[in-house]
Amino acid sequence: MKMADGIAILRRNKPGTKAKDFSRWPDEPFEEMDSTLAVQQFIQQQIRREPSNIVQILTPPDGQDEGVWKYEHLRQFCMELNGLAVRLQGDCHPETCTQMTATEQWIFLCAAHKTPKECAAIDYTRHTLDGAACLLNSNKYFPSRVSIKDASVSKLGSVCRRVYRIFSHAYFHHRNIFDEFENETFLCRRFTLFVTKYGLMSKDNLIVPILEEEAGTGESEA
Amino acid sequence: MKVPGQSGGTMEDPSSQNHNGQLGPSAGGFCAENKQSDEGNQRIQYSIPGILHFIQHEWARFEMERSQWEVDRAELQARIAFLQGERKGQENLKNDLVRRIKMLEYVLKQERAKFHKLKYGTELQQGDMKPPVFDDPGVAEMPVDGELPYTSVSNISWRQGRQLLRQYLQEIGYTDTIIDVRSNRVRSLLGLNNNAEAEENLNNSQPVSTALNGNEPAKTPKKPQQHSSLTEAMMMDTEAAVMANFEFLAQADVDLDDDEDMSDDLDDQADDDQDDVKTARRKGKGNDGLGDDVDAEAQVVLNELILLTETEDNTDGRHQSDSNEWGSGMGFQAGTSPRRGLNFITDEEASDSTLGLGELAQLTVSNEADQFGPLSSTTKELRKTWHAKYTLRSHFDSVRALAFHPVEPVLITASEDNTLKLWNLSKTVPSKKSTSLDVEPLYTFRCHTGPVLCLAMSTTGDQCYSGGVDGKIFCWNLPNPNIDPYDSFDPSVLACTLDDHTDAIWGLSIHKQRPQLLSCSADGTVKLWSPQSKIPLLSTYSSEQDGVPSSVDFVRDEPNRMVTAFSSSHCVIYDLETAKPVVRLESSQEVLNNVVGRQINRVVAHPTLPLTITAHDDRHIRFYDNTSGKLVHSMVAHLDSVTSLAVDPNGLYLLSGSHDCSIRLWNVDNKTCVQEITAHRKKFDESILDVAFHPSRPFIASAGSDALAKVFT
Repeated sequence: MKMADGIAILRRNKPGTKAKDFSRWPDEPFEEMDSTLAVQQFIQQQIRREPSNIVQILTPPDGQDEGVWKYEHLRQFCMELNGLAVRLQGDCHPETCTQMTATEQWIFLCAAHKTPKECAAIDYTRHTLDGAACLLNSNKYFPSRVSIKDASVSKLGSVCRRVYRIFSHAYFHHRNIFDEFENETFLCRRFTLFVTKYGLMSKDNLIVPILEEEAGTGESEA
Repeated sequence: MKVPGQSGGTMEDPSSQNHNGQLGPSAGGFCAENKQSDEGNQRIQYSIPGILHFIQHEWARFEMERSQWEVDRAELQARIAFLQGERKGQENLKNDLVRRIKMLEYVLKQERAKFHKLKYGTELQQGDMKPPVFDDPGVAEMPVDGELPYTSVSNISWRQGRQLLRQYLQEIGYTDTIIDVRSNRVRSLLGLNNNAEAEENLNNSQPVSTALNGNEPAKTPKKPQQHSSLTEAMMMDTEAAVMANFEFLAQADVDLDDDEDMSDDLDDQADDDQDDVKTARRKGKGNDGLGDDVDAEAQVVLNELILLTETEDNTDGRHQSDSNEWGSGMGFQAGTSPRRGLNFITDEEASDSTLGLGELAQLTVSNEADQFGPLSSTTKELRKTWHAKYTLRSHFDSVRALAFHPVEPVLITASEDNTLKLWNLSKTVPSKKSTSLDVEPLYTFRCHTGPVLCLAMSTTGDQCYSGGVDGKIFCWNLPNPNIDPYDSFDPSVLACTLDDHTDAIWGLSIHKQRPQLLSCSADGTVKLWSPQSKIPLLSTYSSEQDGVPSSVDFVRDEPNRMVTAFSSSHCVIYDLETAKPVVRLESSQEVLNNVVGRQINRVVAHPTLPLTITAHDDRHIRFYDNTSGKLVHSMVAHLDSVTSLAVDPNGLYLLSGSHDCSIRLWNVDNKTCVQEITAHRKKFDESILDVAFHPSRPFIASAGSDALAKVFT
């Protein structure tokens, strides 16, 4: 809570708040966030301000622990990917997309099961997101949101690889959904930049040509 | 010399009968010698008077020896009883110390939990955080009390208990007269109505026993007196008195009573002193407890109550064994012993609950028990504390709402990460740390395209409804709570969509009897649905003057009414049929003076009473009478906005959550806070967003903006 113009600004979504006003409050400087969830608050605040400004969103505040920064971003990605999963639920049926594929090169096996198995694309999507949610909320690997063990940080790479397949499946098999979603959220762009910036995935695996596309059309890729 | 002859003749029987152990043979030897001398012409030397004198002399000697032996026996018995008493004292001391240790351990645990919480922000789950429950010290001694030689022990404890009870009764304003009258009645009930003095000599059971044992040698009732004196000197004194009595006895038992009374006085004094010491010590203990905290003190009081009632039971045992000891025949003894057995059974019952004292105990202390009954039971109830048991972590953002299954240990959470998750509390993930159990979600409901804000569970538990910022209400068929979390996608989980609202939906409420659902939305309307019907929307309510509804609930005791709270802080009860306001709850008028920050965040209707409870932004919880619309009670409940409310299914307790990070449990009856738990962290300025009671199991839950939900047991 801080004072502005003599009135305390309470950043709250009170019951009765309209959808357009939801979480629409004045930005809080990162230095003034004293909560343990400051990094999440900061990231969400940046996204809300301008979702397309992926460079700004991925710029950590000074002195920010990189492990936590990556972790909180990945949480945010997985959370927003729920939106893509919801859209895919309506279009990606087990009968049509019986396997998790992107290009014809690979069939991905679902790692959520004891023995990895060939789940239908929509199941793969859901299982991967559920598994990521469990891992990222695991008390064992991520007991705290203010400091993260190096051993746990190394887990982030595999989560990135798996969730990226959702983008690639959507891009290659449900392009209209992908575009619609991407135009609203810029999520794949942000994700690609994120994994590139922090070396979480090898370039070879980044098969959605999203940043190149933009570079080709002359838009700033940063 | 007729008298000696007679006495000699009568003495033959008792000596051979009573002393057939050691003395018998020697006596027999003498008799034989006598006969020999009679027959062997020794008449001249041994005249009849001489023989008689000899016999008399011998008899006196035997009698002396016998009494000496009796004295030894009494002495040893006294010694045994004294040691018993000492043992009991030690045991009491030990129990007391154990209790203190437990108390300290409990405090230490609490401190640790507090420290842990402060340091790591999570609830430390320890083995058991329950306040120590103490074994009743009396239980172990029960069999001992029943045995004849040890009656004096229970006698002592009975007196002490009596004294203590007296003290407590005085403290709570009982006058001596009442106590005396009551004790007299108790005595008469116990069949001891033959002594009027008992009333005066409350501490002194001596006259009772003497009166009972009129014919018996007076030395025996002495015994309890001897034991009760704890000092050796006192022992010696009384022994001397006993000895004196024996000497008198050999001649005649005339002045007996005087002597007895004298020694009684001595003993009584000793008893009183002892009692005083004892009570003083206990007093000190009570004060210590008070110094620690109220809970500990209540514990002490309760424990002593248990002790007291136990000793009351002992009283009963004592009287019975008294009658056994002094009773004239074996038949009587046999007649009473089954009753004694019965008392043991009731004693065991009594050890379980302070109140279930058994038949006789109820007779003795019925009224006292009534006095203490509610006290002890309420303290017990108060002591039911909730502890964080499960932490539900899987959401990525603030958990906005939660709802329990009506029967199963299953709940659903709704979050700003656009999903709902289903949790089965009986399926926990084994965690290495001793902290709260982790549960993994069984199913993730994805359909909302914005934060999910509210949740309602159908009364059967097979469907639930969720409303979100996207303005949609989804009806979900609950998957089986034993589903494989990584099962394949089943589109039929989504039963239907109610999308007549045009803005964020902030409140849902389900009717307890009918399949009807209420929703309130930021579009300014409240809608009544019948989700199963073809045209689910039944009616729409809106109020220009009140503004945007913030929360809604069915009035539980009036099936056709709903109560709607508005962010303008107005609160109105509507008739669902006519769509007209029935009662405007008083806040509407009261609030006009100061509209700022009075927003109602949640309204709940009491499950049985015509009572509406509202949670306000101004930190208040307010109670309204539904019929008059009057404000019944208003209280500052939290340090920050109150966000959520839940009433337990019986309507006895109210749970509230607030942005001050804590949830509080309230007694609806007297509006006092029963427990406060700091449960969640802040995200921006939000903390706790929802609380819930399980409809049929002892679970409460809280949902927080730290993306966690916690379940307390």
